[in-house]
Amino acid sequence: MKSKKVKIFFFVIAFLGLIIFIPGRMFVRHHVNQKTAVTDHPLKCTSCHLYTSKNKIVSNLINEDYYSPFNIAVSNDGKRLFVVAQDTGELLIVDAESKTVVQKVKVGVHPHSVILDKTNAFAYVSNQWSDNISVVNLATSKVLDTLITGNGPSGLALSADGAKLLVVDTYGSDLSVIDLDTKEEMKRLRTGSDPTGTALSPDGKKLYVTSRRSKIVPYGEPLVSDLTQIDATTLRVDEHKDVEEAYMMENITFTPSGDLALMTLIRPKNLIPSIQVEGGWMMTHGIGVIDQNNEGRIIQLLTDQPNAYYSDSFDIVVSPDGKRAYVSNAGADKITVMSVDSIRAIIKETPKEQLKNIANNLGVSSRFVIDRISTGANPKGLALSPDGKKLYIAEQLEDKIGVLNTETLKMETAIDLGGPTRITVARQGRRLFNNAGHTFQNQYACYTCHPDNHEDGLVYNMAGKDMGRNVTNTQSLREIGDTPPFKWNGKNQTIYKQDGMRFSTVLTRTEQFSYDDLDAITAYIKRGIKYPPNLMYNPHGKLTESQLRGKEIYNRTKDNSGNVIPENNRCYTCHPAPLYSNLQPADVSTLAVSDDSILFDTPHLGNIYASPPYLHDGRAATLEEIWTIYGEDNKHGYVNDLTKMQLNDLIDYLKSLGGPEQEDEGYQEQQTASF
Amino acid sequence: MNIQTKHFKIIVPMAILVIASLGFVRPEERSPVLNDSSDINTTNNSKEAEKPMPIYGNWKNYDSKNGLPGDKAYCVKIDGERILVGTHEGLAVLENGKWKTYTTDDGLAHNGVLAIDVDQATGDVWLGTMGGLSRWSTGKFENFNQMNSGMPNDLIYAVTCDEKFVWVATGGGAGSYNTYTRKWEIFTEENAPMHEPWTYGVCASKDKIFIAAWGGGVIEYTKKTKKFRDYVDPDGNMEIDLFPDDGVVHDITTGTSWANDILWVATYFGLSRYDGVHWKGYFDHDSGLASNFINFIKAKDDYAFICTDQGLSCTDGNNWVTYTTNEKTNKGKTIILNGTNKKELGESTSLAHNFILGVDIVGNDIWVATAEGVSHGQLKH
Repeated sequence: MKSKKVKIFFFVIAFLGLIIFIPGRMFVRHHVNQKTAVTDHPLKCTSCHLYTSKNKIVSNLINEDYYSPFNIAVSNDGKRLFVVAQDTGELLIVDAESKTVVQKVKVGVHPHSVILDKTNAFAYVSNQWSDNISVVNLATSKVLDTLITGNGPSGLALSADGAKLLVVDTYGSDLSVIDLDTKEEMKRLRTGSDPTGTALSPDGKKLYVTSRRSKIVPYGEPLVSDLTQIDATTLRVDEHKDVEEAYMMENITFTPSGDLALMTLIRPKNLIPSIQVEGGWMMTHGIGVIDQNNEGRIIQLLTDQPNAYYSDSFDIVVSPDGKRAYVSNAGADKITVMSVDSIRAIIKETPKEQLKNIANNLGVSSRFVIDRISTGANPKGLALSPDGKKLYIAEQLEDKIGVLNTETLKMETAIDLGGPTRITVARQGRRLFNNAGHTFQNQYACYTCHPDNHEDGLVYNMAGKDMGRNVTNTQSLREIGDTPPFKWNGKNQTIYKQDGMRFSTVLTRTEQFSYDDLDAITAYIKRGIKYPPNLMYNPHGKLTESQLRGKEIYNRTKDNSGNVIPENNRCYTCHPAPLYSNLQPADVSTLAVSDDSILFDTPHLGNIYASPPYLHDGRAATLEEIWTIYGEDNKHGYVNDLTKMQLNDLIDYLKSLGGPEQEDEGYQEQQTASF
Repeated sequence: MNIQTKHFKIIVPMAILVIASLGFVRPEERSPVLNDSSDINTTNNSKEAEKPMPIYGNWKNYDSKNGLPGDKAYCVKIDGERILVGTHEGLAVLENGKWKTYTTDDGLAHNGVLAIDVDQATGDVWLGTMGGLSRWSTGKFENFNQMNSGMPNDLIYAVTCDEKFVWVATGGGAGSYNTYTRKWEIFTEENAPMHEPWTYGVCASKDKIFIAAWGGGVIEYTKKTKKFRDYVDPDGNMEIDLFPDDGVVHDITTGTSWANDILWVATYFGLSRYDGVHWKGYFDHDSGLASNFINFIKAKDDYAFICTDQGLSCTDGNNWVTYTTNEKTNKGKTIILNGTNKKELGESTSLAHNFILGVDIVGNDIWVATAEGVSHGQLKH
């Protein structure tokens, strides 16, 4: 009897379970499908409710604060390493022998580079998100002074006499010249767009500044980037050299003899349909050689191989004997070791007329690449010991300093900076974002087209499925987590969909991300990518008079004649705060004849100042052009009654826009990333 | 004691009369107009009168026959070892003895180059054209126009580099471009005391900007306070300068130039000089000024070089030297007016034309832009 009751009990439980489970599962399936916009995502509550949670307590529990080493300097005696910890805003002083961190010096926000003066008395650290330089007294390990720079300081150099600090301003696209006696900025020199790298020639007479973004050129014309050559004596720009069909020149160095300058670069093929990545050549990576003996001509050599790419070349250093160069391939977790003599021989032996074509030769790397060395995740800055026997590698997403024995070309035990040992989901997402391993033949990572999690300023042929070409301007990924749908046409309602099967089908041409990886990269993109502070146009969160006038225009309901502006033609209707997007599709009459017939997803406007060119196909080089040249029919907001001064005010206001935090709190308080 | 008091009663009023007749105003009572924080070098006319006026000569002319792309030269600028000439057919550059022309084919915003200035810190050349502003740096042009930027108007009459700012006087107001933030500010009759948005000249002192505004006299902008004030002709008469030396001679101004704490103002109706306290007007009938019709003015140290439709004049405020040419014989004439002494010197060489549009002076060299080419002169004494 008892046994029967038990059976009935379990039967009832099972029956009820089935009744609950089947429709419950259906409900959950439906819920997950709706939230992810795909039908195959596992029914894991953690995907959305944990990994992408905005709750600060939850976020703090599931994430960690990593150091994320970015650049390194080595003391003259080789005993100390000075490591820029980008995410904690510190300069870590490391004992090279014991491989331990001996000091941590708090510097500014999001530091980028570090250099030492000749006597190693001071270290200069560029703080990219606080627009200043921390001058660290190395005797006391204290910040002695803070020098004001231009916007987004990154690469650093000291003049030959040590009296001037030369600071590359990435966001301002210029070079600040700082007098170290007066500690004042003397002047700014215009450079190429989005510069980072700089190097002074061994004789101290010439300074190069590399840029990362191409000049803005109409779609159809090959891209061209600027290498700025500065007379280091007069501190005036000598020449803006064109680097054809290349960009992302992250860093540059000279050989000790000064006969060559070598810089990293990427050669993108943005004018051909992007879906043909399996044919190779979508993005190629290499170096630029500036031949000092031939009027500074630039020869480009790919470091890739025909069937293997080494993406996102970042830093480059040359051994003290001038024989070898080392390049960090941040997207491939590799160091490429190159023979400088072989590079010299290639340049010497190749007829002049063929030197240009060699830039697309994937096979030429076999003539100068000596070895490829595996590193920890995302190798960035490099530094050689004074004797050249050790190469130190800032493994940004490993939280370690890799050590390469340059004699054996074997990695030694890495220097653990003491960061978290746990790899969080978002950190894994960041690793995936920065790694090209998920793209056919490792051609590119997400980072390649979205450097600094932003956009590369290029317009790509995305080859629409209909008759169109769908020429589209790369969109920034900063703070996009709450601005679905995605893509210019808004066809991807979620990042799960954007980066799922469709992503692998169209862009990477490999297996799609595993679901765990998809969760990870979604978590990182949704919550881990912050805006840099808008220090140029809104440094204190208080609008200027011009910006306030612009805000009035932005929010106006009547035109200058007092006529009511139709609601759907007001700025704020489609771009309402705090996201500055109503997340709805719209027709702003800028569809090109080559586009598929679509409406455009309304983009958010946060940090819009940093995203030229504008409009879906990048046709507007400046914000002004959106309305002066491409807004004649008043369909992209009612603007044709505006005076020039009013338009300036409106644009001034648009440039002040940051993220939702700024709108909510009236101040754009920045935090270092914790992913 | 009584005697002393009596004497005081006589002496004090007399002293006041004497001082007033000399036009003396105590420094603290001065208008703050030109009170720059830089050292004020108060004009000492008697001292300047003793200083001989510079005389230029040995003119060598360039036009479309020997280097320029066209004859009409709007402006000229000496930039170190090279000479930049704005012509109707592009930018002509004389370097190492050779002329080279840059046009829209090379990236110039417009071939009609009306104004040139050089940023001494960066070496960048800023070119005001009839179709926008060009920054010419290391042989490459970057163009700003009213469509792609916040610049007020494409017709640019004057350009002045002032630290990190580039000021332009345009047909649609004055504008300042912050080369650090890449931001434009526009000044028109809507936000400045101008009558019309047309501006013809702009110059900078250490603390102020002076804009020549058509019909609005001189518009003064104080950099620190970002406030404006205007200087217009007090008598308000458009035909004659009714009351001499009461202010700028006419509201229709064509240029401003500032040096050694003196502001010089060009109009189509005469010349004005302002020392921060007093205005002084000059006309062709009462001074050595070649003509009341002034196209451009350039102040250099103690002297103003005045570009008129009847020749080039130079003055220190008291003494004059005017250079003209006989357009039939191509012989030059230098007219020197020292106080009341007038002397005319014949010259075997002359300016290219009497219609003068621009001038620049560095060291012993003077370059003059005219309607028929540019002229290079050298300091004779």
